[in-house]
Order: sequence, then C-alpha cells, then structure tokens
Amino acid sequence: MSRLPKRGSAGMTRRGFLIAMTAVGVSFGFPRHLMAAMDPASPDGKVLPTEGDIYEPSLWYSIDTAGKIKVNIMRSEMGQHVGTAIARILADELEASWDDIEIIHVDSDPRWGYMVTGGSWSISQSWPVYRQAGAAGRTALIEAAAKKWGIAPADCKASNGKIVSNKGELSFGELVKMGLTRQFTEEELKQLPLKPNADLKLVGQQVTSLDIANKTNGKTVFGIDAKVDGMVYANPILPPTRYGSKVVKFDDSAAKAVKGYQQTIVLDDASGSVPGWLMVIASSFTAAQKASKLVKVTWNAGETANVSEADIIAHGKKLLSDASKGGILDTGNVETEPAFASAKSTIAEEYITSTVLHAQMEPLNALVFKNPDGIWEVHSGCQWQSLTLPVLATALGEDEANIVIRSYMLGGGFGRRLNGDYTIPAALTSKALGGKPVKMVMMRPQDMLFDSARSASVQQLKMAFNDKKAVTAMEHHATAGWPTQVLAPGFMPKGVNGQPFDPFSIAGADHWYSVGAQKVRAVSNDLAIATFRPGWLRSVGPGWTGWAVESFMDEAAHHAGKDPLQFRLDMLIAEGRNAGTTPVAAGGAARQAVVLKKVAEMIEWGKPQAENTGLGIASTFGQERDMPTWVACAVQVHVDKARGSIDVQKLYIAIDAGIIVDPNGAEAQCQGAALWGLSMAIHEGTELLNGQYKDSNFDTYTPLRIGQTPEIKIEFIPSTQPPSGLGEPAVTPVAPAIANAIYNAVGVRLRKLPMKPDELKSKLTNA
Amino acid sequence: MLKRIVYSVSGAAIVGLGLFIIYAWQPAIDPVTSSTINSYSPEVIAQGKTLAAAGYCSTCHTPPGGIAYAGNYEMHTEFGTIYSSNITPDVETGIGNWSEEAFMRAMRTGVSRDGHHLLPAFPYEHFNKMTDDDITAIYAYIMTSVPAINQVKKDNGIPFPLNISMLQAGWKLLFADTDSFQPNSAKSAEWNRGAYLAEGIAHCGACHTPRNALGGEQYSKMYQGAPIDGWIAPSLTSTSTSPIPWRSQDFYEYLTTGNSPYHGSAAGPMAPVMHKGLSALPDSDMQAISGYFGDLARTNDTDEPDTNTTLQAAIAAQHTQPNHQVDEGARLYATACQACHYSSDQLVKGRPLLTIGSATHLDDPTNLINVILDGVRADQGISGIVMPGFRGALSDEDISAIAAYLRQSAGENTWPKLQQKVGEIRNQPRFEH
Amino acid sequence: MAKFILNGKPMTADVESDTPLLWVIRDELDMTGTKFGCGIGTCGACTVHVGGRATRSCITPISSVEGAEITTIEGLSEKGDHPLQISWQKLQVPQCGYCQSGQIMQAAALLKDIPEPTDKDIDAVMGGNLCRCMTYVRIRSAIHEAANSIKESNDEQTA
Repeated sequence: MSRLPKRGSAGMTRRGFLIAMTAVGVSFGFPRHLMAAMDPASPDGKVLPTEGDIYEPSLWYSIDTAGKIKVNIMRSEMGQHVGTAIARILADELEASWDDIEIIHVDSDPRWGYMVTGGSWSISQSWPVYRQAGAAGRTALIEAAAKKWGIAPADCKASNGKIVSNKGELSFGELVKMGLTRQFTEEELKQLPLKPNADLKLVGQQVTSLDIANKTNGKTVFGIDAKVDGMVYANPILPPTRYGSKVVKFDDSAAKAVKGYQQTIVLDDASGSVPGWLMVIASSFTAAQKASKLVKVTWNAGETANVSEADIIAHGKKLLSDASKGGILDTGNVETEPAFASAKSTIAEEYITSTVLHAQMEPLNALVFKNPDGIWEVHSGCQWQSLTLPVLATALGEDEANIVIRSYMLGGGFGRRLNGDYTIPAALTSKALGGKPVKMVMMRPQDMLFDSARSASVQQLKMAFNDKKAVTAMEHHATAGWPTQVLAPGFMPKGVNGQPFDPFSIAGADHWYSVGAQKVRAVSNDLAIATFRPGWLRSVGPGWTGWAVESFMDEAAHHAGKDPLQFRLDMLIAEGRNAGTTPVAAGGAARQAVVLKKVAEMIEWGKPQAENTGLGIASTFGQERDMPTWVACAVQVHVDKARGSIDVQKLYIAIDAGIIVDPNGAEAQCQGAALWGLSMAIHEGTELLNGQYKDSNFDTYTPLRIGQTPEIKIEFIPSTQPPSGLGEPAVTPVAPAIANAIYNAVGVRLRKLPMKPDELKSKLTNA
Repeated sequence: MLKRIVYSVSGAAIVGLGLFIIYAWQPAIDPVTSSTINSYSPEVIAQGKTLAAAGYCSTCHTPPGGIAYAGNYEMHTEFGTIYSSNITPDVETGIGNWSEEAFMRAMRTGVSRDGHHLLPAFPYEHFNKMTDDDITAIYAYIMTSVPAINQVKKDNGIPFPLNISMLQAGWKLLFADTDSFQPNSAKSAEWNRGAYLAEGIAHCGACHTPRNALGGEQYSKMYQGAPIDGWIAPSLTSTSTSPIPWRSQDFYEYLTTGNSPYHGSAAGPMAPVMHKGLSALPDSDMQAISGYFGDLARTNDTDEPDTNTTLQAAIAAQHTQPNHQVDEGARLYATACQACHYSSDQLVKGRPLLTIGSATHLDDPTNLINVILDGVRADQGISGIVMPGFRGALSDEDISAIAAYLRQSAGENTWPKLQQKVGEIRNQPRFEH
Repeated sequence: MAKFILNGKPMTADVESDTPLLWVIRDELDMTGTKFGCGIGTCGACTVHVGGRATRSCITPISSVEGAEITTIEGLSEKGDHPLQISWQKLQVPQCGYCQSGQIMQAAALLKDIPEPTDKDIDAVMGGNLCRCMTYVRIRSAIHEAANSIKESNDEQTA
C-alpha cells in the first residue's frame, strides 16, 4: 500500500506523506524528527527532491545544483497565497527565475523564530527579511562568479537565474555545483544593498499562485486529510459550559453496540483548555461520531450555565459606567473633561455588536501521536505555532523541544486557528493511549460550540462641539471579552493610566481624525471571559471599533450640519501624531483622506438616489496605527420598508496598502474581506444562550452566500511605500458604510450589529 | 371500531349464522408432491416470470435485504403489523405442496391451501381479474424457477378478534369485489389491455383507491388516491391536484423512467412498483397502461405542458429570489434544495421543479416530508441518481419551514400543523423494501 | 458490502449501510479531495456527482448509491483540465481552497444542465455552496469563463 517504508506503529499510508520528508530532511541536514514540510504545489504536498549539493545563503532558502530554489515559508497558508507572495519578494531581490521557485511551508522548529500568521502582518514583516535574504544570495553568487571569471563583482550582474558579465554567464545551479559556502551575519545582512523599489520586477506583477492548481483538483492536503497507519478516531463530547464543568459519571453501554467503538475517556487537562471533556474512541470516524451520541454523561455544570447575550451586554454597560475600569490609550491629549465642560453642544451614542463565530469551512481537527523518536507530532493546520506549543507542552507534561507541529494547509483560518486549543484534546487522548496516533475531527456543531468567538461588545462614544459646530473633543469607551488577556497576556501593553489593555480589542478607536482632546478606554468584560473563550476574528478590534467610530462620524456630521465626506476630510490632517511615522505609516491621515476621496468618486458621492435607496461611506484603517492600511468603503443600499430587508447593491472599496506585492492576491483578499464585512453587518451573528452559542450549524448560522454578493469594486492607490497588511482591513469600513447608507435611504439609524430587518422595521414604524 | 366489527359480525350471525358458516368454511385442498406437479412449457414459465415481476410479488414477499419470495416482509397497517407469507416452493414453510388448484383458489378468493382465509393485504380481489392462463403461468414460474427456502412465517401482530380467520370471510362478504375482469366494448383493445393489467396483476387500485374504515376498497372512488405505507398514493383520475394534467405520455414517461418532469418521481412504495415491477412488461403493455390512465385522468394528450401558464409562471418565479433575511423557509430552500431543484428557462429532467410537483400540491404534506427526510435512492425515481435525506440533518422546524415555503410558492393553502406533522412522520415506521 | 462505481472503477466497501458516502470516499477509499463541512447538506463542501448530478455526500447513506456511478473531484477530468478547473486556475478563484472541490463539482453539474448560465442561474444553483473566504465574485466569473470556453470548443467542433 505504501510506497514508503513503514516505521513502527506510525508507518505512513499513501497520503500520510510527512515522514517521507525525512529523506529530504537529511539532505538539508536537519534533525530527522523536526523535518517535515509541505509544498502546496506538488501532488499530495510532497517536497520535491533536490539535485546534488545545496547552498543555503540564509535560513530562508536553498539553491541546488539544478538551480532550483526552495523557499522556506513559516507563515501558514490559509487562502492568502502567502508563500507565493513571500517567495516573489525573495526571487525578485535574488534575481531568480520564477520557474525555479518552490515554496515550502515548514514545521514548528524553533529555528524559524516566532511563528504566527495573523494580524495581516505576514507581508509587511517578511518584506525586509526576504529582501535581505535575496540580496545575500545574489551577493554570494555574484562573488563566486566574479572569482571564477577573475573580474570584480561590480562587473557582474544577476538576472533571471544567472550571473552575467562580459565573460559570459553562469547559472545559479552551476555556481552551486562549484561549492558555495558564503554565509552572512545579521550585521552583514543589514548592510547589503537592496534593489531600488522601482527596479522590482516580480513584485506587483501577475503571477499564478503556486498553491492554486492543487486547490482545483482535490490534491491540496489540509489538516483534516492527515492520516497515519494504526490511528484511531476520537470524537469529543463537550460539557455544558466552556469552563468549570465536571464529569460526574458517564454511561457508554449503548455505545458498545456500535461496530468499531472502543472506549470513552474523560480528559485530564493540565492546560485548562478542555475542562470537562470526554473523548469517544473508535476505529472509524463514523463509528466515533455515532457512539458519541450514545454516551450518556452527567456533569456538574460550571457557573456560567445560565449566562445569555443580554447578560454580557448588561455587564459591559455596567463596566463602562465605572470610569476607573480599563486602560486608557496614549492618544496625545487624553484630558477631555475641559472640552466637554465648555462644549456648546455634545452628542453621545452607544453601539452594540453581537457574538460572531469563525465558522471556517474546515472543522477543527488534529492528529497527534508520539513518533518512534519520542517526539510528539501534532498534525494540524495552525496559525500560531509559537502560542500553541507551550499549551501542548503543559497538557502533555513534556518539554516543548519534544513537540512539533507539522505544517498543513488551513481550510480557513480567520483567526480561529490562532488559538490552538483544538490540538489539546487529541494530544491528551493520544497520551492516554500511550502515544498511539489519535485523529480527532470535530463535527460542525462541536466546532461551533468550541469556537473562540468574536466577543459581543458595547461601545459608548461622545463628542464635544464648539459654537461653530467644530469638534473639540472625543471619547470612546469600549468593552468586550479580550482574547489577548486569555490567550497571550504578554501581548498586552499598559495604558497611560498604568492599566493593561488588549490592543486587539480597541485598535481602530485610536483613529486618525484630529478631534482635539481624545480619550480612548478599553475595558475587559470579565463575564464574557468567564463564559466563553474570546478569540481573534478576522479584522479583530477594528472590525467593531470601526463600526462605532464611522457610524458615529456620520451622526456627528449630521449634528454639525455637514456633509459626512467633507466632515471627515476636514479632520484628516496629517499633523502631529496623525502625520504618521516611517516606514509603514508614513503619510498618516493624508493617506486616509486619499482613499476616502477615491471611494467617493467611485460611487459618485452626492448623486441623487431612488426612493428608499441611499449611499453611505466610511473610512478606517487596519490593523494598528504603526501598520495602517488605509481603507474606505462606499455602498449603495436599498431598503424594503415593508419587510425591513436591506439590499446592498454596490460595495466599493478604495485601499492604500503601500506597495502591492501580489496584485491578484491582494484583490482577492480585499474582495473576501469586504464580503466578510457585509456578512457580519447584515447576515451573520449569534448570541449566547444558557452559556453557549445559540447556533451550531449552517442551517441557522448564516454567513453570506453567493446570491447575496453585490457588485464589488476594489481600487488600490498606487504607492511606493513599504507594504502594510491586506487580509483584514477591508472588513472594517463596510458595516458602518451600510448603516450610514440605511440612514441616508430611510432616515433610521441602526446601532446594533448585525443589522436585522425586525429592528429596522420597528424603528421605521416608530420614526 | 372493534365493537362495530363485532356487532356487524354478530348481526350477520343472528340473521343467518348457519348460512354464514357454510359460506365461510372452506375445505383444505390436498397437498401435492413435486412429482405430481404438472410440467409447463418454457414459454409459460417465462410468461409467469414476467407477470410475477409485473405484480411485484417479491416486493411484498421479501423483506429488505432478505431472500426473494421467502416472506416476512413487515407491513404496518392500521389494524396491526403483519408479515407476508413464504411463497417459495418449500414444502414445509412455503407453497411447495400447493396444487395449481389451491394456488388458483388463493389468487382468486384469498383462501389458503389449508382453507384458512388470508388477510386482504394480499390483493386477491385484483388477481381475480386475471385469466386462468396468467395465474397458471405465475404458478408455473414459482414452482419451477424460484428456489425453495425454508423460513417460517412470523406471527402477525393483529389483535383479537381481528385475527380470527373466519372474520376475513365476513370481510369478503361485505367488501370484496368478486367480479372477473369486464372489458369495456366502447374502448379500444389497447385500452382494455391497459385496464386488464392495471386492475389485475398490477393491482394499482390496491394503493390508489381509497378504502373504507375496515380497509375495503371504495369502488365508487376508484383510483382517487389514498394513504398507503406512510405515504399518499395520489389520485390518478380527474380529481388529481397536480397543476399540470397527467397525459398518457406523462404516465408513460413516469412509469418507464421513474420520473415525469411535470409531476415528480416514483419514490416510496411506488419506486419498486415501477423499477422492480412494471419494468418487466413489454413496451406495448406500458403504452396500454399509460393510455388507460391518461383516459381516466380525462386529459388531452395533445396539450403541450410547455405552454401551460402555471408551468410558465412557476419557471419564471424561480428567477426572483426572496429575501433570505426575512424568509426563513426561502433561505433554507436556497441553502439545501435549490442547487438541484432549479431550472433556468426550461425544465430539465432531473431538476424537479417542486412548485409544480405533485407532492407540493397534495392536500396532505406526507409525501413531500417523506422525501425531504429520506431522499430518493439510486434504485428509486430516476435510476442511478439520488436525493440525499435530511432526516439527520434538519430539524422539524427547518423542514416545515421549507415545506411551507414551497407550498406558499406553489400558490396553495397552508398545510395545517405542519411542524407537528413532520415530527409524526419522522417517528413513524419507515417504508422499506 | 456496498458496491458502486467510483470515477469509472468498480468499488466495494465493507461499511455499515448508514455510513455517509462522504466518509466511505474519504476514509475507506482514501480520496480526500472531497471535503467535510457541515454534515447536514447546507455547505456543499462534500459535493460529488452521483449519476452525473451534484449530490451532497455527507447526508447520502452508502445504501442509497448501490450500483450508482459516482464521480469525485479526482475523477472530474483525467488531468485536472476540466474547463472549470482551467478557468478556476486562470482567475485564481481559490483562497484557502477547502470548499473549492465542492464548488467545482456543483458548477460542473450546473453547466451540464444550463450551458450558458446567467448570474441569477449561478446564484440559484451555487447558493448551497458556502465559501467562507467569500470567493463568490470570482466563482461567478470563472463559471462564465468556462461556459464560454466550452461553447467555443463546441462551435469549433461543429464548424
């Protein structure tokens, strides 16, 4: 059956390709157990063999004697075509031929450094690293060719996989064959000359992403496809509350009638990831699933068994009313009291967002076993290996060095797989079975029940105006369950009041408008954190802070009697802290003004609309002030007043993300992100009910479908600035643009996400 | 109701108990041994094989996954659970020791070889319409070609006093149609051939004719539709609720391919009737049966459905997508059904347009709910294609929302207590074959 | 023992009769191109062809497909060059790619029945296939593109 030699109990099946990488690993000279990687372009993900010796100018790639270049990618592929984008940064600087490039998604070896794929950081952070790496190889190859020819390196040039001079040309492969050893220190790398941005050839050009073809023929290998000989299947039984439930007893007598059923175990989890869980083990997925429905469990439920969405919201309001709570961000002048005290007029509004589920298409899964070398192998798609490893170590009672997370394609990340808690039940089960391979695939309801949802939020905004209706101060108080507090507290900075805060639950509130004194306060909703495990969800904080800021900006413009577009432009002044800092944020508020004007032009802002139809605009930035991608959205919305339904007819986005490395991929990311924005604005959202999310599958949880997809236009502002991020920012201005358009269409202001027909109808009736 | 039966039987007893006993008592017919069974020509045996198939004998005499003709197929009737007999030529447990005479008597009068009365679930009233030659042919086929299987029949779960065999005689006296087939001289030979097959071997009325409280066919309402095995056998007459008339060619297409694009697919109990039964008949017979029912439905074969305004409206209506934010049924339909149940500008066979489908237009939602719950297997409806079942997937609430949406889109009145009905049907015994 | 034809080859699987076709294909027959998404027929990730018609394999018991012809994404074309696969690559439709096997199988069934679909036709027939990356805009374009290329090659053949 297998083309590969069997290795003990974990011998691989045909598709279980990973240990096959051992051979390649030896050629790289890596320790065997840490050698696993995936080439998303090759059949079944196998890394191609190398030819002859290899030369590694840096950690990030190797060149073999055939001139083939393997580029190591430590970011996870989840739809961004990140490997292709990063590899082309390298190939461009190296002057490699694109046809020689192979991308390899690597495992969690510590040598790769801190491994996380999120925050829309991948390209922005990889940009300097891979350019330096490319420059290193180019330099070494030129030096070697120059030496061979006996000429000065300055008389040689790298181009399309070759070094050329008036002596002739030498291919990269030929040079590697001569035996290259040149290595660079960190300091040397920093000193290497880079190509001027204007000379970049691959960056910004149309290239077919290397992972695409396999995604059209079923060959891409996702975590759910991982398979090892001798593995058993485990299906979890989840307790009634996320935390604090204790198993009193269980009865699996009925399950024993299921063919293939083996046993049920109660997990003992030192990491606290999956308290009160049971795992039903069987010889097939369907048997495990069938049996798990037949096991009767009695729990003592945790304290949050009766918590509902309304409780979280009410608790949030109570928290916000206590001014001593939460961290206050450094926004320059945070002393807003004088301005409010002397204001001619003020406005204040409250915005609420509901719980949102990730609902990534590939249900959570993991395959875990202890390999013959004593290493725990975790086979699963993962966005944040460096965060997940220590949790696995705690759960398994093992040293991190003895655990490796293999690389797989992710059937959607969207932030769900930043939190690797789903690997824990499989790991604990394998441990309970003495390291036997255990494959856990969650059913969709289990996946949703176990989601690290985007927390519900409450935001209170207020603004002070002088006698000329100019803005003199603004406050933004926001509360939600903070994912970073629960999962990565080390990432929480302290505010000006000395209190820590979750930057991913407030970014966006610290906007680029000049509003005078500005207070931004973030408060942790402890009831939310006790009830469920809040997660980072595509666009994180700005996904809901932007909704409040930009809805409120329209409300403020109406209060001031100004056109919402002009009102914003008047406050987008690139001065002081809003001037932006180099490299990525250079230009500051001025760049936000550009996208805003652009999108207004695209939608023909100001053009009269049909009855019950309105235009709306909004402008935000993602994801943080030091890495802003400027984005503006304009929509055309029609409201059916009788039914309260909202029809988004046009959805336009203008965006400035600096240099666009992969134009096609960038457009795809923005299309997807904008539609996420639309989906969360009017189509999806759940609520907590009795301590759990109310919706558990796609019959009632309803992300946007193709029929609800409007006409979309995405325009990028040409730029020579370094790239920022693209995966998330286009989510953020969509909901407020729709709310603003609804107001412009029918005069009703909706301040709760998702915007529902019932609420719109009742407001229309009461208006 | 039991009381009523007892009274009516008692009444008969008072008037003429003696006469009744004389009527009801049937003698046993002597057993035979294989050596004394006549020999039959291959042609007769082949004819018998065709007729046994066309009468889908094996459908009721074979449990799911069981041995053909060996009986113990479970039937859930309103009078209790009953099991079919072993009709293989096994001497001990089957009909191996039945003479041709005994078989003929059973087929014509519902009396077993040993003289006991068979339950009317065995449609002897219909088989009685057949010619002697045809019945003999079936006997010849079973006795010579069906493997003998020793399998004891399970006891019926019919409560006392309905289980008294002699009561069946009273039932026959009251309800049974004992007439032989009467050709209609005003109709063509083909029509009469169709009628002969439909009334006789195919026993269409056994399912499609409504029955009275005691299970007797109501001949005044022949083929006007009736509940059967947890499904509804729709009306085959002019009382049909289908918006597009059933023409002879529609019956023909339905019976030969398992589907009429204007009406629906042969699912539930109808699936084996056409796939395992009527398909054995020669094409001329299929034409005859279709012509017969086309005539009964009083439709005009030259009507062109494609110009039917109801159909045109139903096709056009697909292009307007209702707003999913406000219509739950429409949203679920778009999510779970529409990928297949959508045709663009013209009907495509295999993409059933449910707003004109028979199941949507019946006064009872049973068939639609059954199909949503359990789908259509590869050996049902159009051969080789399936509809998945949503039994384990969608809740009663979800399914009733979809059904209500379809019903409304079809321009029909709401089905009352729909969600409750979905729950009831979900929990009732499933028709299996 | 279930018997059926998978991608042109006769197959048997020794599984319980209520085992969903999806898991027979994925776990018993080791073809993992067909994906599990929701288990209730509402996301389309598990779409295969049964008798040439798009079918949600996660809610299709193996007993339902006895003797039927099943095609998965692996068998849609010999070399991964079905016009839809080509247009999907050309327009770079997939993002994470997880739903795309189902999308392509559903689209292939669509084009067979409705060779020149309008946007409305596409929206109606593809409405059961969720894409969480929301590649919908490109799915529409790629279906039109494939429809055109099929039409052109047909025209060439008849010319």
